Amino acid sequence: MNIAVLIKQVPVSNDVSVDPETHSLVRASSEGMINPADLNAIEEAMILKEQTEGKVVVFTMGPPEAEKALRDAMALGCDESVLLSDRCLGGADTIATAKPLARAIEKYGKFDLILSGALSSDGATGQVGAMVAEYLDIPHISEISAVQYDGADTIRAVKKYQGEEVVMEAELPALMTVCFGCNEPRLATLRTKRAAKNKPLETYTNAELQFDAEEIGIKGSPTIVTDSFSPERTRRAVMMTGTPEEMAAKIKELIEIEKGKN
Amino acid sequence: MKKKRIGIIGGGISGTCLGYHLSLYDDAEIIVFEKNTIGGASTAKSAGTVCLFDDSLKNRYWDVRLYGFESYLKMEAEEKGSAGFDKTGTLVVATNKEVESVIKTGIALAKAAGYTGEYITDKERIKEILPDINTDNILGAGYTEDDGYFDGTMISNTYAKKLQANGGTVKTGVEVTEVKVVDNKIKGLKTSEGIDYEFDVVVDCTGPWSKITGDMVGVDVPIWHTKAEAFFLCPPGKKLGYTFPVLKYPEFYALRAGDNIFICKSHLSMDLNNPMHAGQWDPDKLPATGGTDDYFIDFLLDQLDEKVPGIVDSGLVSSWLSYRAEPKDFWPVLGETTIEGYMVATGYGGNGVIEAPAASRDLAKLIMKGESTPLLENWAFSRLVEK
Repeated sequence: MNIAVLIKQVPVSNDVSVDPETHSLVRASSEGMINPADLNAIEEAMILKEQTEGKVVVFTMGPPEAEKALRDAMALGCDESVLLSDRCLGGADTIATAKPLARAIEKYGKFDLILSGALSSDGATGQVGAMVAEYLDIPHISEISAVQYDGADTIRAVKKYQGEEVVMEAELPALMTVCFGCNEPRLATLRTKRAAKNKPLETYTNAELQFDAEEIGIKGSPTIVTDSFSPERTRRAVMMTGTPEEMAAKIKELIEIEKGKN
Repeated sequence: MKKKRIGIIGGGISGTCLGYHLSLYDDAEIIVFEKNTIGGASTAKSAGTVCLFDDSLKNRYWDVRLYGFESYLKMEAEEKGSAGFDKTGTLVVATNKEVESVIKTGIALAKAAGYTGEYITDKERIKEILPDINTDNILGAGYTEDDGYFDGTMISNTYAKKLQANGGTVKTGVEVTEVKVVDNKIKGLKTSEGIDYEFDVVVDCTGPWSKITGDMVGVDVPIWHTKAEAFFLCPPGKKLGYTFPVLKYPEFYALRAGDNIFICKSHLSMDLNNPMHAGQWDPDKLPATGGTDDYFIDFLLDQLDEKVPGIVDSGLVSSWLSYRAEPKDFWPVLGETTIEGYMVATGYGGNGVIEAPAASRDLAKLIMKGESTPLLENWAFSRLVEK
């Protein structure tokens, strides 16, 4: 089974503010990491790869620095990677992200399954996976917690739906978005880090993807951010002093007060 | 009694330890200024190994090592956890005759001070202590079960608490914005609170920031940054199953951190002429995690493959980069500068936790009594000033 995994590079730091003029996020650190739910998607892909053989190719769209996220993914076991990077792709919303990703997947090769994280830790729209499936005209199951595959032409996924655990089946090829925390992502090692440096990485610009300027980037994004703001902090920490027994008694008292509020 | 007013810039191990030693004098009035949190910058990235014998500090400075070690043991005895002591013991591996000789001398010194220590050549015995080691190309190893590593952040906070109990002041979240000098003499400093302070003595304890701090008074503090790059490894199987001692090779050192292993390149293996290892960077731009260079992965992989193959396939949990501050001769920079009343206690080069207690003890004496010591003379700022 050949699997494509879609990943996103997100900021490491939570220290993010909002530019009042452009409403875009201003990040204190340029250091990026793989979106946490995408690590769960990679882990699911690795489990299936061990079970079925085949290869795992990881895709991301971003600036040239996003190569780091791809190398990190390959250090976790992904075999090959594709970076979609072109200035004209910048400023894209979810549609203008999904379109190039879908075309890149089609261009790169034939995949039986496409996985991505269910939500990103920065944008958290949860839309890109489903949109990619629509552009590829394949079925998708969102927010899954496990995959079951027995080598047939269909694949099953476990997902929570209205508090119940349900099993859904889709014909292959299919796309699934994987929930954060549904498995324990493996760790890279020094050896796999070194090996990842020499694994294939292909870069697609719009010269390869062949979109009209109006279809991609800011021009191809129907969404406009009209306002954004930092949430007001209403929670406050209370520092306690005294012996452990005194502090425990105080905590108990505070819990009782909170209980009484309901 | 007229008190001597001392302002300390920096609340890491250097500043808090000096503040504490000054607070032992009745006629000292101390304020420590820390722009962030106590022991939260390069001190927090220190491994905190204070071993009875290793290559971090020459045996010539045994008294410095012992004073540091016993200061922290005393701290820990007064309040458990206040120095963050993890008594894992230390294994120092001899890969050549020169290292072997240093280890043997160190063991003799440790034993003379009443601690245990042995030089082991029985390779099976070495493997009992560290099952993951490769003993093929080693001569032997020094071992003591009496030491381990401490927590620099805990120690800094304990010193801060002690100096406050002795009447000193610690200001966190306060940045020094200007150091006032009149007629080549310190007058005081100004802070981000917009307050002017008058001081008789100002001490730069800012470690990797010392060049920037020195610029405020026009003193060129001749330190470089060398990169301290560290990884936290999760051993195969996720459990060590034995007490991983502080492990010292000339090229790197390792210690346990819960069930993980902390591993870092040794500072003496840094080449100050290699721009990948040494330079002058802005410590404020250091990311909280990550930032290590690719060469470090190759370096560690080769080192562990050869020396500790049992942990080479550990998972990489996290990594970080820190800057050690050191002059070209790798010794600290202490005491008076070309500005009267402006002193430095910096350049510990990753050995701050080991060296700060003895250096602070002596520097406090110089500040309060005007008496210098052989240690201060060896590590004087003046040695680095071009004649």
